Amino acid sequence: MSGPLVEKYRPQTLDDIVGQKSIIKRLQKYVGEKSMPNLMFTGPAGVGKTTTAIALVKTILGDYWRQNFLELNASDARGIETVRNNIKNFCRLKPVNAPFRIIFLDEVDNMTKDAQHALRREMEMYTKTASFILSCNYSSKIIDPIQSRCAIFRFAPINGESMIKRLKYICKHQKIKYEDEGLENIVYFAEGDMRKAINILQSCASEGEKVTEESVYEVVSKARPQDVNLMITSALSGDFMKARDLLKETMIIQGTSGEDMITQIYTDVSKRVYDGKMNSDIYIELIDAIADCDFRIREGANPRIQLEALLTKFL
Amino acid sequence: MLWTEKYRPKSIDDVIGNNKEKKEIQQWLDQWKKGNPQKPLLLVGSAGIGKTTLAHLIAEQFDESIELNASDKRSQDEIMKTVGESSSSMPLFSQFYKCIILDEVDGIHGTNDRGGVKAINEVIKKSKHPLILIANDFYSKRLTTIKTKCQVIKMKKIRSPSINKLFKKIAEEEGVKADPEVLKELSKKAGGDLRSALNSFQAISDENKTLEKEDIENISSKDDRSTIINAVTVVMKSKTPSNVKKALITEEDPNLIMEYIAENVPREYKKKKEIQKAYENLAKADLYLGRAQQSRNYGYWKYATDYMGVGVANSKDETYRKFTKITSPTVFSKMRKNKGKKNLRDKIAEKMSEKMHISNAVAISMFPYLKIMFENDELAWEISDFLEFNDEEIKLFRKKKIPKNVIRKMEKQKNQIRESKKEKYREKISEKIIKETGELAKNEVEDIESVIETQKEITKIEKKTQQNYKKEEDKFKIKNPKKTVENKKETKEKLVEDSKKDDKNKNEKSKQTSLFSF
Repeated sequence: MSGPLVEKYRPQTLDDIVGQKSIIKRLQKYVGEKSMPNLMFTGPAGVGKTTTAIALVKTILGDYWRQNFLELNASDARGIETVRNNIKNFCRLKPVNAPFRIIFLDEVDNMTKDAQHALRREMEMYTKTASFILSCNYSSKIIDPIQSRCAIFRFAPINGESMIKRLKYICKHQKIKYEDEGLENIVYFAEGDMRKAINILQSCASEGEKVTEESVYEVVSKARPQDVNLMITSALSGDFMKARDLLKETMIIQGTSGEDMITQIYTDVSKRVYDGKMNSDIYIELIDAIADCDFRIREGANPRIQLEALLTKFL
Repeated sequence: MLWTEKYRPKSIDDVIGNNKEKKEIQQWLDQWKKGNPQKPLLLVGSAGIGKTTLAHLIAEQFDESIELNASDKRSQDEIMKTVGESSSSMPLFSQFYKCIILDEVDGIHGTNDRGGVKAINEVIKKSKHPLILIANDFYSKRLTTIKTKCQVIKMKKIRSPSINKLFKKIAEEEGVKADPEVLKELSKKAGGDLRSALNSFQAISDENKTLEKEDIENISSKDDRSTIINAVTVVMKSKTPSNVKKALITEEDPNLIMEYIAENVPREYKKKKEIQKAYENLAKADLYLGRAQQSRNYGYWKYATDYMGVGVANSKDETYRKFTKITSPTVFSKMRKNKGKKNLRDKIAEKMSEKMHISNAVAISMFPYLKIMFENDELAWEISDFLEFNDEEIKLFRKKKIPKNVIRKMEKQKNQIRESKKEKYREKISEKIIKETGELAKNEVEDIESVIETQKEITKIEKKTQQNYKKEEDKFKIKNPKKTVENKKETKEKLVEDSKKDDKNKNEKSKQTSLFSF
């Protein structure tokens, strides 16, 4: 009875958190002092930013953490309105049975600059009643005034050793049979992302067989977006119409964003070079086009048109 | 004087076209005159075909009329104030009808005219007077509630022969010498919009009283769809910059034109180099459209238009000699078709983001794994139970439904687990209660002075007992460490009993304090 293992084995206390030892040590000081500055957690996906934040909140705020805690993640509306209303109203109130209140804003780098500016004032106005924990993938996307108001913690990708240890722990408790090579393979594909690792593990285990090198490979290749690969293959073979239809399909039906498409195309192309299926002249030409396309999309062009134009370069 | 005013029909019969619809309206009118109240009339149709004219002519047949159109503020209050009251009241003894015209109903503004649609519904419900509603777009969202309550009359565009006939008559009366062919062309260009046709007719014949072929070339035909397809065709087929530039002077949104051109480039151009070059230009055009939008400097549009027009046209080596059917962009139809799917996906992502502290984007990135996990029936049930998916949402991850026997089995298991959890919780709670009530009793005891002394005694005894059962404990530890706990209690109670005095409180007290002491 568990549902997703990522949730079931989300560490509940600071001590349980995998990797990130030095960070935990510093955070534990705040627990002892019962006070903390505004914090900013930065790092790639799946390294425990959210988990650490929630565990920290639970230990500092104690039994009444739910009443004194506000979590806003990227899918919640976080325009200026929210910052001015919801967050302000939350900060204004006195903490209930706790030293202060905590607001956790996930993926702050996806907030608009305006919203960030609205936030900075609130961060220092309510220091007596509330503390902020911000998390983001790239601290460079956060405006300087906010960075200067926070103690910044950089989360590194989780190293292989601790990841395997955790995976073994999960296997033991879930009674999952495994081979060591299988787990090593998971670590290889997860690239330091614990969420991905556990998802791969559960996917492998769902078929009821041992987790082996092959089964991991099978899951990973099944889960990898196939359409992009097919799209590039058809573009390379000269069938532009088919490639374009696939592009529209993935972008419109699956709702993949332009930036994600670029990343996927880049990964696919570089894999082709790795495998020796593409010569370096063509590769560097394509990288030129991809980089240019990426830049234009970020500059505010229509991603679909730009990507269609990019596809013509593959012909 | 404007001809549109001058030649405005004086009676319903004078109105050109829509004969069937006119008959229907006449019937409606006759019924009112006989004193039979009718449903409100809803006239829908494109611009310039005589809806408002017709409405005014109908209104003349009644005793009085009120009109409310887009130039008036039409919020709920405003509508109720101007027509609401009068629509529901009636003179007592005479038949007195006030015709109410609500023009451009589909143009009621969402925020500025708050509650407007609701007010119209109200007026329809209450009205004892003839009511005429006029709208352009039959499928407008604002009409959905209204149109069911009305007699809908869909007015058609006016056919060019009818317009032509009228033009001949007007030309005669105004003394304009016009080539019959030119008049014919002019009435065709109107695209069924009589008002615009009449306006342009007047505009070109005002200067000189003759009308020749060259004169009408200045008038762009009104139908926008043909111009965009025209423009794209020219871009595809021509290599002459001046022609292309001319064709792209339209009122259309450049973004739409770009979509059209992009859609048709690979359908028309066949060489790789051509497609590449064309798309390079389109990408640049798009870049400038984006910049224009971001900086609100719409001067950039001209570069975009040149890139997508002359740039794309110039990308081909030579014009293809074949018939080209211009295809409208497939993106829009795809978007429409997949709206439901997209909504479903977003709903699932939202559920996940709530339960798992992740953003929608991360949730969607987990979909492929979920798809694999959902191949297992039991796991599928567990996950959808955890995330509270409904059947429709499960369907996104697996084609088959979860078998019923699996569902039953899993639900049973869940209940068992829940029961055992409840049991544990109950135990915890009862322990807590015992503790708290014990403390309470302690306080009560402290209140009684007489007990204080006995208490002292008890503490003495307790010390003894503690010492005693430490000894006992040591003994048991050696013998059987597991039993110690039970034995502890026993020995303790024994000792307490030994020290028992007449006072009941004392007894209780000692029990409890001794309970706490280990």
